[in-house]
Amino acid sequence: MTASNEPTADDRPIVAIEGASKRYGSVEALSDVTLHVRRGEVLGLLGPNGSGKTTLLRMLTGYLSPTAGRLSVAGFDTERQRMEARRRIGYVPESLPLYSHMRVREFLRFMAELRGLSASAANRAVGEVAEQVALTDRLRAPIRTLSRGYRQRVAIGQALVHRPDILVLDEPTNGLDPRQIIETRHLIRSLAGERTVIMSSHILGEVEKIADRVAILLRGRLLSVEAMADTPNLEALFLSLT
Amino acid sequence: MKSLAVLLRKELHATFTSPIAYAVAAVFLLITGYTFSLTLFFTKVANLNYIFHQMYVLLILLVPVLTMRAFAEERRADTLELLLTAPVPEVWIVLAKFFAALVLVSVLLLASGVYAVILGLYGEPDWAPIYGGYLALFLLACLLVSIGILASSLTENQVVAATCALGACLMLWFADSAAYMIPAPLDVVPINLSLIGHFTTFVSGSLFLSDAGYHLTLSLLALFLTTRAVTDR
Repeated sequence: MTASNEPTADDRPIVAIEGASKRYGSVEALSDVTLHVRRGEVLGLLGPNGSGKTTLLRMLTGYLSPTAGRLSVAGFDTERQRMEARRRIGYVPESLPLYSHMRVREFLRFMAELRGLSASAANRAVGEVAEQVALTDRLRAPIRTLSRGYRQRVAIGQALVHRPDILVLDEPTNGLDPRQIIETRHLIRSLAGERTVIMSSHILGEVEKIADRVAILLRGRLLSVEAMADTPNLEALFLSLT
Repeated sequence: MKSLAVLLRKELHATFTSPIAYAVAAVFLLITGYTFSLTLFFTKVANLNYIFHQMYVLLILLVPVLTMRAFAEERRADTLELLLTAPVPEVWIVLAKFFAALVLVSVLLLASGVYAVILGLYGEPDWAPIYGGYLALFLLACLLVSIGILASSLTENQVVAATCALGACLMLWFADSAAYMIPAPLDVVPINLSLIGHFTTFVSGSLFLSDAGYHLTLSLLALFLTTRAVTDR
């Protein structure tokens, strides 16, 4: 029997950031950030350019090491248990890095196998993820021939192909046309619940429409974390904090 | 290990679909073929000594061109971020790039083996210097590729990477010249650091562990530094 006040597995944060800081020489890109993310929620990181959103996401994915503090993903420390932590994350960087000389299917299969899927499991996963991100008719296309919108889908596809617990998206709607923005928004919302999504954006409306909670960053400091349901006017909150 | 195989497959695909590989292969085989024919017709001597020294120079000039893309291109296209956030150790990313470039250079060396076959068919060559020469070229390729990859890991500009690698390889080649300016017993340092000193013994048919050790130690050092450069961020 479990005592009622003890946290259950679902209550425990799937992402725990404790006092994380990052310095580049004398520049402090991120300062003492503590943030917990629950399983299945969509967390929006909101802040102007240079506020530390990308640094925080990169530390979470293990690309950058924190100067101080610790981060854990699904209970695995991103520094001491790097491989375990990385296996649980799917990451879409802002610049949408893709191997342009590859075809879509080849690229997705490469990313799946790189994350430990067997050849047959990777083939299956590629088919499933292609359907999920509406890429089925483009699987044979060379990546260099794709539009920005399709490249975005491929980037999200590679992040989902190994069925990660957490999806990390850095400015996912940057450079997309209005239709693509709406489609991406729907896609992210459809992933919520099944997966935890952490996305960064400098667009208020974007976070308002997609996120369950919002974390506001400014000059490397976490100013506030609010549930969207309790924040009827995000614009006013953002202006009051910044 | 499976991830290493996946990375190696990707690197081999990138290497063998790159026009740079075919341009370098064409230049290498054309020049060595031309010199082999001329040397054979003029000297009528069944050895590859001259060709090996020419291959030595060609590899120093061409390998930096083959390796310049390794990390510089990944940095420029931001794809390095994808690799470095995947659950694979950084050293495997480095090794995959190293082995892919080494496979290409080995293919070039294998293709040049036709000269040895011709000598064997129409003459009676002394095989020891030929085997030694190919072993020396392979070890040299290991060293040059690892230096090229190290240079590529330090910049996102491919031309800068190739130039730095070429500079480092040339400095190693001429290192023994500095011995004239350094008093004994310190002069042994540049002499032993010199690339050519460890190459000519192999080509003469003498195999010394110290020469193999020189190539392998410097290769491992360069690969270690590359891994540190990739990891440090």
